[in-house]
Amino acid sequence: MTDISGLAAKALQKARDLGASYADFRVVETRSQGLGYSNGTPDKVEESRDRGFGIRVITKGAWGYCGSADLDEKEIIEVAQKAVEIARASAILQKIPIELARSGSFKETYISPYKKDPFAITLSEKLAFLAHLDEIQSKNAEITARDSFLDFRKTIKDYYNSEGTSFHQELIHCGVGLSVSAGSGRNRSTRSYPANEGVYECKGYELLDEFDFASNIPIISEQSIALLKAPPCPAKTCDIVLDASHVGLVIHESIGHPLELDRVFGSERNFSGASFATPDNLDALQYGSSIVNVTADPTAPYGLGSFGFDDEGIKADRVDLIKNGILVGYISSRETAHKIGRKSSGSMIADGWGNIPIVRMTNTNLQPGNKTFEQLISGIDDGLYLQTTSSWSIDDMRQNFQFGCEIGWLIEGGKLTTIVKNPSYAGNTLAFWNSCDGIGDSSQWRIWGTPNCGKGQPGQNARTGQGAAPARFRQVKVGV
Amino acid sequence: MSKIQKLFEKCLKKSQAEQTELVYESEEFYLTRFADSVIHQNMGRKDHTIWCRAINSRKAGIATGNEVSELSIDGLIKKATEICSYQKDTPQFPGLVKSAKTPSCRGFIEATAKCSAGDRAIAVKEIAEIASESNLAISGMFQTSQTELVVANSKGTYQEGKATEAKISLTASDESGRAGFSQVYSRDIAKIDFVELANRAVVKAQRKTEPVAIDPGKYTVILDPEAVADFLLFLGFLGFGGKGFSSKRGFMANKIGTRIMSDKISITEEPGNPDIGYISFDFEGVPRQRVELVKNGIGMGVVNDSFYGSLNGTGSTGNALRPGNNFGPYPVAMVMEQGNKTLEQIIAESEKAIWITHFWYLNYLNPMVTSVTGTTRDGTFLIENGKLVAPIVDMRIAQSMLEAFNNVDAVSSERRLVPKYGSLMYVPALKISDFNFIPKE
Repeated sequence: MTDISGLAAKALQKARDLGASYADFRVVETRSQGLGYSNGTPDKVEESRDRGFGIRVITKGAWGYCGSADLDEKEIIEVAQKAVEIARASAILQKIPIELARSGSFKETYISPYKKDPFAITLSEKLAFLAHLDEIQSKNAEITARDSFLDFRKTIKDYYNSEGTSFHQELIHCGVGLSVSAGSGRNRSTRSYPANEGVYECKGYELLDEFDFASNIPIISEQSIALLKAPPCPAKTCDIVLDASHVGLVIHESIGHPLELDRVFGSERNFSGASFATPDNLDALQYGSSIVNVTADPTAPYGLGSFGFDDEGIKADRVDLIKNGILVGYISSRETAHKIGRKSSGSMIADGWGNIPIVRMTNTNLQPGNKTFEQLISGIDDGLYLQTTSSWSIDDMRQNFQFGCEIGWLIEGGKLTTIVKNPSYAGNTLAFWNSCDGIGDSSQWRIWGTPNCGKGQPGQNARTGQGAAPARFRQVKVGV
Repeated sequence: MSKIQKLFEKCLKKSQAEQTELVYESEEFYLTRFADSVIHQNMGRKDHTIWCRAINSRKAGIATGNEVSELSIDGLIKKATEICSYQKDTPQFPGLVKSAKTPSCRGFIEATAKCSAGDRAIAVKEIAEIASESNLAISGMFQTSQTELVVANSKGTYQEGKATEAKISLTASDESGRAGFSQVYSRDIAKIDFVELANRAVVKAQRKTEPVAIDPGKYTVILDPEAVADFLLFLGFLGFGGKGFSSKRGFMANKIGTRIMSDKISITEEPGNPDIGYISFDFEGVPRQRVELVKNGIGMGVVNDSFYGSLNGTGSTGNALRPGNNFGPYPVAMVMEQGNKTLEQIIAESEKAIWITHFWYLNYLNPMVTSVTGTTRDGTFLIENGKLVAPIVDMRIAQSMLEAFNNVDAVSSERRLVPKYGSLMYVPALKISDFNFIPKE
């Protein structure tokens, strides 16, 4: 058993001895398991374990970080030296010494809630579950390709900093999803369930029981077949309703990313881009209509972005980002929050032990409204309902976007009518969210997980959640 | 004999599986990121990963870890063998391959491996000073790394190789919206000309007039090598890999010997190109080969690993990715043949064209017809009567990539090495007609 607290003490002391004014030490162990089933055969059964540590320091007012997979005392001392050496190099181009927003110290443990540990379930049982899905998928003879997957991850994190904070955190993530395709070669159509790339939550194996696969597989199979002969999405400007999982994608791209405060200050300018939502807009910008309320909330139960503490020792907290349509907050770190005189939103996350933490979305949640799905649809005379994300692109300032879905339905006289293929729409972030005049109620609301959010350069992967219900937007350009 | 070789030999002998493969990849990685001419992230890490693939009958199981010890590797073999028992036979699975040892240190340069955080910071400072002379700030990244790859299997394959990388991506910009982009990649840090890199971004950011807005529609465009590489990367995914070829989903399916692009376009997979210098074998230990993908616009072939090479009847071309990936084989060293006119000549001969530095956030509109959308970025210009007239407000494209590569009017004589998502592409600039821009909301 490795004495992590002893190693942490040595790492922090070494950093201090070398002149660091701040240091933190993080050990991350990740166990992952992925299973896939394709056309009647298990095509993927994999397991991996990964462990390492990182030391982050401020020396001469500048950041340095170094990590290693070899968790022993000799390596820790060398890595601490390297981190300080790197920080000294950073100082060559530092204009203003880094200051961190204040934070209280604590020593705590957080274990994410779950009923069934997925790693306690046998591979046989998991493969039997996928075989059962495959059997249902195979019942429609016109389906030409069928895929399904399970994905499990357990992350154990131990964190110590030079301000006296330490925590132990264990997170369990589960993912499940499937797709069916009709047609062949380049004439094919695909439908996914429960969402594009499946559904992911910070939850145990019980996640699998929450979806009615038996009822929904026949439905998406028929839709996939119908899409082969469906007319293309018309090109026009009309009212649209988006399904909940796709609203999650739109929140992620057009609210979450532009409100990352490091991006706002230009940290991602060269690759991911910057943001139109600059701090001079705080408490003033009409980001959306008055029914648009968005929070950054890692405390929300079961979200893929839920946790107890972020990677710089800030306790999870719910922060308002948009209140009654007005921009009121950012997703931030201690360093970036200090620049606008606020406290950190607790959103510093690193991709494993081998990367320096950066500002990441946690759960970016659009609060539910009061409309039933029928009310959202019936309020449209001539429009389009789009379901399940298939494509997304947004400019480097997060303003102009183009999104596509797997399937669409015309809305005529307040009812869903003809299926259309390749439905897409384009918009401008502010105009789009200001045209939102209906949000589904809490019975339709869920935190949709994104297991592969990329940011940084080279890209770091993060797991985020987006709380969403179906929503209605007026006068949007579709079929673009 | 290296520590890894000894460990692998010992563990392979103990394996209970019919066939066993062990892959070791180590990385020493350093990254300096900067924005507003300040270093805001600066880091290093030392990591290693071991993959074990155990095979019984025609079933394979994979287990991965990052602890280098006999006990840990034995554990991976045991886990992979257990996983194997849950799989079903894949009749087409050809089993592991025995490959002759191939020499592989062509991409390892000591000076790059030894580059320090201080060296990177001083170079960034030099670039920042050049940009500041034009009242521009810089943002971007400077990465240096060294990797080692070892592949051993129970059929007797043993390969080891290492490589270094140095890459810089740079944007020179200011708050008024002026922005220019440049990047450079080399195995050898000594070959990087920081001044040329800085000037390339600064020149793109400079402007004498405010950007003009152009109506959506079809225009002739001149794509810088970075923009060409943006398209080529996607085409690699959509057609040049053996998986899409065998499933008939890729655009190369049924197109071998058929015209698929302009006759001005020839593309080869050239891992041994001196500027590319890839480790000379893939993650199955198979020597990487030169593969003609497109010759004068005619579809010639795709790249394969051992599985898809067996399915496609061509054998492996040495393009296996890391064990367990879902992409299948993929080209990682595409080289596009150069033309005979300089970029300057191509611009000078253009009556009206839009000159694009690179694209942002390309994503599929319809992968079946290779159409994508995305925006232009960090240096888009209007060319009229052979001269740069004005910068252009960034635009959104909706374009079939194959159609674009079919509408090539000119290919530049200069090429640049462009790194993207683990692939290297050595590409020229292209002049393309009827390139489609759509309204930007």
